[in-house]
Amino acid sequence: MKKEDTVKLISSEGFEFVIDKNAAMVSQTIRNMLTSPGGFAETERNEVTFPEISTTILEKICQYFYWSLQYASGKETEFYIEPELTLELMMAANYLHT
Amino acid sequence: MSSQKKRNFQIEAFKHRVVVDPKYAEKTWKILEHAIHEIYNHNASGLSFEELYSVQCACVNVKLYSVVCYILFRVLGFLNRNKEIKVGHKQAKRNAYNMVLHKFGEKLYSGLVSTMTSHLKEIALSIEASQGDLFLEELDRKWTEHNKALQMIRDILMYMDRTFIPSTHRTPVHELGLNLWRDNIVHTVKIQLRLKDTLLELVQKERGGEVINRGLMRNIVKMLMDLGSSVYQEDFEKPFLVVSADFYRGESQLFIESCDCGNYLKKAEKRLNEEIERVAHYLDARSEVKITNVVEREMIESQMTRLVQMENSGLVNMLVDDKYDDLGRMYNLFRRVPNGLTSIRDVMTVHLRETGRHLVSDGERLKDPVDFVQRLLDIKDKHDKIINLAFNNDKMFQNALNSSFEYFINLNTRSPEFISLFVDDKLRKGLKGVSEEDVEIVLDKVMMLFRYLQEKDVFEKYYKQHLAKRLLSAKSVSEDAERSLILKLKTECGYQFTSKLEGMFTDMKTSDDTMQGFYAAMGHELGDGPTLGVHVLTTGSWPTQSTTTCNLPPEILLLQTSSKHITWGHTVDADGLSYREVEQATEIPTSDLKRCLQSLACAKGKNVLRKEPMSKDIGEDNRIFFNKFSSKFYKVKIGTVVAPKESEPEKQETRQRVEEDRKPQIEAAIVRIMKARRVLDHNNIVAEVTKQLQTRFLPNPVVIKKRIESLIGDGKFLERERTI
Repeated sequence: MKKEDTVKLISSEGFEFVIDKNAAMVSQTIRNMLTSPGGFAETERNEVTFPEISTTILEKICQYFYWSLQYASGKETEFYIEPELTLELMMAANYLHT
Repeated sequence: MSSQKKRNFQIEAFKHRVVVDPKYAEKTWKILEHAIHEIYNHNASGLSFEELYSVQCACVNVKLYSVVCYILFRVLGFLNRNKEIKVGHKQAKRNAYNMVLHKFGEKLYSGLVSTMTSHLKEIALSIEASQGDLFLEELDRKWTEHNKALQMIRDILMYMDRTFIPSTHRTPVHELGLNLWRDNIVHTVKIQLRLKDTLLELVQKERGGEVINRGLMRNIVKMLMDLGSSVYQEDFEKPFLVVSADFYRGESQLFIESCDCGNYLKKAEKRLNEEIERVAHYLDARSEVKITNVVEREMIESQMTRLVQMENSGLVNMLVDDKYDDLGRMYNLFRRVPNGLTSIRDVMTVHLRETGRHLVSDGERLKDPVDFVQRLLDIKDKHDKIINLAFNNDKMFQNALNSSFEYFINLNTRSPEFISLFVDDKLRKGLKGVSEEDVEIVLDKVMMLFRYLQEKDVFEKYYKQHLAKRLLSAKSVSEDAERSLILKLKTECGYQFTSKLEGMFTDMKTSDDTMQGFYAAMGHELGDGPTLGVHVLTTGSWPTQSTTTCNLPPEILLLQTSSKHITWGHTVDADGLSYREVEQATEIPTSDLKRCLQSLACAKGKNVLRKEPMSKDIGEDNRIFFNKFSSKFYKVKIGTVVAPKESEPEKQETRQRVEEDRKPQIEAAIVRIMKARRVLDHNNIVAEVTKQLQTRFLPNPVVIKKRIESLIGDGKFLERERTI
């Protein structure tokens, strides 16, 4: 996978998730970060730090990104969310605008 | 829900800071304000999107907590079945959060407005300071920068855009940026006027033939459009249209004085295309209609009448000289303005009618019916071609052409006769050696003229006569052509119209068969004797003027009957006969006899008869001799003088007969209508009758009235309603 096609998402604990740009773009916020003209720090380093999102949640979010792409292409499967994650996921979703 | 699950459901405390401290808001705003400054100074690369985003998020997202709380309380309340506590608690919390939310959001929003405004004021100053031509360029550059900055700011403040703005019904960030730009840059006193003047000046320069920076123009105009269509219209379009109108008004005056119609139209067309091109290059597409309207109004509509009637080069001259290009241009331009085409059409109609009337009332022309009809056809062809090539086959013009023809053909009451004569001429000799297609074309043209005739029954009368002569003297060039014409007449006017004509053909056929039968049976007895031709004709089908008596001398040598005249051959004694003697002996009416004698005696080289004195016409006191000669090989072909035009009394007679024939037709129509309607007032009857008979002739209302009276009086077919 080429470097340009991926993006690094970093959780509050410092865990790094390297995922496809396409997948990350499911989030409107991340899309804006990466495509906004004028070159913000994120665009140049190709990585985004989320000091407010824990590793567990970010992992779930990354899973969601890929699931969402699949779902959009017509493959309808269940996306399972553990009940204890629901609240934080909702807040993260609001933040990321997905 | 089971109690098992209830125990498993845990709720952890929020990890987020719940900030109610106004200082915090102050602090976060500072961060954002700094970022906006940096963006305007093109220094954005050092900024972290995530940081800015989360800061304003924290500033605004208090609302999220209230949402979450609401959900939590719903869930808890459901589990605990303790609704009163839930409601009270929730309400209290929510109000508190909302207060915080609005306070912070408000701060963020107003901070944004003031920061951007101050930046834009600086920009305005630098634009104002720019000199001359650089003004537009500076404006364009700053606009591009502002746009970019605005997009970044919007991206950062997306969260606010999404949550705070819709809930408080404020202007979204992007639009806010545009509005601020409009108010602080474009609508400032110094810039607004200067911008307008500069733009108009550039357009004017381009009209004058100079090359201008179209890309720049496009950008600036695009900017005005982005700022809202009202800005574009107020600041540019309206003054632009006014200036253009002035310009073209002046120009049209100039041109109309100095150019002829063709050149003027060329110039107008060029200007129009230029404006359309201008719109395509750097104006809003919606302006096209407006600016072309201006050009049309000033260049075409205001000068329309003058153009059309321009001496030596106006519409009439174009028509006369077949200037298809100019006419086409005129059509295309005039089509754009209201009443444009109507004015062309009116002038053309007047011109056509004038030409037509001139033609049909010209005494010289009337002497040669064939030439007359040929000229009519030429005019028709010419204008058909013009309409086809220049006027896009416009129905309106075709109708005008048709109505004009109808008008002037019917001006001359002899038109039906002439058309019939034309056909007669064509079918006798004109079409010899012409291919079938060409014959069809000629016949179609004749049919076209026929359609214009109002008195179709008069045509029928003449046509019948001429056809009879052609058939009986076997002069018709082609039977196919004859039949094809009759077929055309049939499709045009129905079975009734042609049934008698068809009857004539049937008669000819039967007679031929009979004659053949006769010769087959008697041929050997006759030997070398003269041949005899007899035609058996059905009364009614053939023209009824042939009841003249004719005493056949006992010593007939050669007999050739036609319905009307006898070609007379006779053993005349050497002394000859006087004209009177001949007349007495044969009892042929004077006019016919004269014609026959003329063809026998006066044609050069074919004189079967000789007369004294030698002259062109037959006089009453002439003496006539048999020109003695004998040769077995020499065949004398005697042509009767071609069916001439009718003389004045004959014409009157024919007309009278036609009128007579019309009476029963009108009566029949009246009876038909009354059978269907039972009761009808007088005017409606006249209208209906006219409508029914239109395909054949145009009945005179007075005649209709007389017919109605006679139907009431004599036959008791109709009666008046008593109450009236």
